[in-house]
Amino acid sequence: MLQARDIRKHYGGVHALKGANFDLRPGEVHALVGENGAGKSTLARILAGSTRADGGSILRDGREVRIASPLDAQRLGIGIIYQELDLFPNLTAGENIVAGNLRFREGAMVRFGEMERFCRPFLAQAGLSCPVDTPAGELSIGQQQMLAIARALSMDARILLMDEPTSSLFDDAAERLFELIAGLKMRGVSIVYVSHKMDEIFRIADRATVLRDGETVGTVEIAATSVESIIRTMVGRDVTIAQRAGRGPAGEVALEVDGLTTAKLRGVSFTVHRGEVLGIAGLVGSGRSELGAALAGLDRVVSGAIRARGGFGLVPEDRRVEGLMMRMSVLENGTIAVLPRVSRAGFVARTAERRMLDPVAAGLALNCPSMDAPVSQLSGGNQQKVLLARWLLVNPDILFLDDPTRGIDVGAKQDIYRMVEELARAGKAILLVSSELPELLRLSDRIVVLHEGRVAARYDAEEATQERIMAAATAASGTGARPQ
Amino acid sequence: MKLPAFAALPKNFLALAGIVLLAIAISPVAADGSRVFLEIGNLTDILRQISLIGIISLAMTFVILTGGIDLSVGSVLALSTSLTAMWLTRGYTHSVAVAILVAVAACALAGAVNGLVIAFTDIQPFIVTLASMIGVRGLAKWLSSNQNIDIGFGQDLAAHFAAVFRQKALVIGSYAAASAAFWTLLSRTVFGRHVRATGDNERAALHAGLPVRSTKVWVYTLTGLLSGFAGVLYAAENHQGNPNAGVAYELDAIAAVVIGGTRLSGGKGSISGTIVGTLIMGVLTNMLRLNNVDSNVEMMIKAVIIVLAVAVQRGKGGNGA
Repeated sequence: MLQARDIRKHYGGVHALKGANFDLRPGEVHALVGENGAGKSTLARILAGSTRADGGSILRDGREVRIASPLDAQRLGIGIIYQELDLFPNLTAGENIVAGNLRFREGAMVRFGEMERFCRPFLAQAGLSCPVDTPAGELSIGQQQMLAIARALSMDARILLMDEPTSSLFDDAAERLFELIAGLKMRGVSIVYVSHKMDEIFRIADRATVLRDGETVGTVEIAATSVESIIRTMVGRDVTIAQRAGRGPAGEVALEVDGLTTAKLRGVSFTVHRGEVLGIAGLVGSGRSELGAALAGLDRVVSGAIRARGGFGLVPEDRRVEGLMMRMSVLENGTIAVLPRVSRAGFVARTAERRMLDPVAAGLALNCPSMDAPVSQLSGGNQQKVLLARWLLVNPDILFLDDPTRGIDVGAKQDIYRMVEELARAGKAILLVSSELPELLRLSDRIVVLHEGRVAARYDAEEATQERIMAAATAASGTGARPQ
Repeated sequence: MKLPAFAALPKNFLALAGIVLLAIAISPVAADGSRVFLEIGNLTDILRQISLIGIISLAMTFVILTGGIDLSVGSVLALSTSLTAMWLTRGYTHSVAVAILVAVAACALAGAVNGLVIAFTDIQPFIVTLASMIGVRGLAKWLSSNQNIDIGFGQDLAAHFAAVFRQKALVIGSYAAASAAFWTLLSRTVFGRHVRATGDNERAALHAGLPVRSTKVWVYTLTGLLSGFAGVLYAAENHQGNPNAGVAYELDAIAAVVIGGTRLSGGKGSISGTIVGTLIMGVLTNMLRLNNVDSNVEMMIKAVIIVLAVAVQRGKGGNGA
């Protein structure tokens, strides 16, 4: 039905896909699984024509095809439902369906009657009962997803790609989605279901293809496998990272969080001591970044208590969007939060400013052409170091590091590991979010696993394993997660 | 002169040099054979003519660096001319200093209101200052009953004020002093850093704990203050308070800022660039007028220059230092 052969794709120096293979049969629900960054979404986007592959081939019914744009995909009967639902919120449901639709000829004028006749059967198929002239933005997230599905069906999609469709849905909406998927399957629509949630995959999928580090490692029949087996295939690599350095006993409590509830968190509780690294595991969207925002006072706390003894610093996940001023220099970015320390009467003493940043930059092995170079010219790893330098200068007692090694090279990672260990030894309380489990296992004294805004499991360093953490993070049952 | 060193200059400096050379080349020639454009009187006239827009565009640079815009500067200038003339001619005070202070303080307050609304609501600066552009104009007209308030040429306080504050040296000197002050403020102070950081990446600035809101309030307050001061000079120059003064000044100021290489999206730009941008517009106007070009044609030529200047700077090396 649809085959992908040896698909390759890189962004800059990062290989998102380096040999992905995939084979879809008619009328099946086929799960694409893998860790964060394994390349599942990239593969789906390539099949839908929104991203171009660097190499490899795609076959539709055995014939090689070129999918260079979403229109090409539409002609081949391939539709995609994006995680972030690419609807026009200010257009009506009907207008969303006919926009760019090759099967609905638009004249110079809008013909409302025809649009309504065209749209209604597809809205019904998708289980959406709203009037055709409802603005998309007024629908709930679940209904918007149904609208996106109706749109794909109206384009005569025989293959439907769904990228993490339940990531923003509540339980009942997810339930309706599963019923809809079953109905579509009955009608012979093939579905590619991108997810890393084991419970969902085992419920709806017929087969699963596992991606790891941009490569296909295998395709299995769901009926003939187990959660543990899939997780082992997903994680794959052995734990070869050097053992964590022994640290002294933790000091007094630095941060106490009790029943913290926000828009994205539900009753999260934990404590962190001075001199301790608390690892925070969880998938993207599990609430791990929202935890940092809530602790930093950037998100509204609905209920619960945060008791901090000392200053709090947050190194955000997306350094380009939330961390750095990309047009400003390395020096200016490093010192921006502590300028009063090197200024008199509001005037910055530039020699003192440089002297203040130099030792911190050296400690992080920051490598840049010049302190006056714009930070945008640095590699990802060095950009991250500039951001860390900023917070080392602020010197808070509690530091929340949100995936600090994401997308950076191995050498820079080692420098950051060293810094985290030095900070803990110096008596700081560290909260460390990471998408890479070996990294969490190496650095953390204790690990909290988040799933859908709740604490799904807690482990001491000795008892944590990649398999256990992954099972708790994907909410697979019966894998040894301790109930809380 | 080696070409590489020359080519390394910011492009807006080169553009200014080019326009100056063109102005010299096509300048009318006086009876004694000298070029009119190069006469000291003409050159200082250019500086005096650009001073008001120049002063406003200094503060506008700060606003635009934060990612904002201020459309109310022309109306604020009109408010200032009216207040200055009213206080001087109606016997509210016997001190020129007090009259100026009242006008400038009122304008700074108008700017502060802009800043407070922008900093504490989600309403875009364009809309907030569009509203105050209308509202402050209304205030100026209401206070002055929509009348020009004439400042005479006699021996009274108002006439004395006008005589002092319309001197070329004082006007140009004010622009020079304000330029030096704002250049220092942007490149040497903590506040200047905060202005650039806010415009470069507001979310990051919030994450870093910077005083984003107070920075915004201050840049709009400064814009009100400088527009107010420009209004005082306007009143002296024209011997009147005029509630209809300063129409479209915001557009001239914004043009000077963007020709100077400051990005409307914020974060990147410079005071020196803005000064160059102001000079480009001033020299261009002077050149065209010396050659008796129709003022409507002048506007069309300016339109082309604005787009060309910005397009050229989007290429490599287009940052005014």
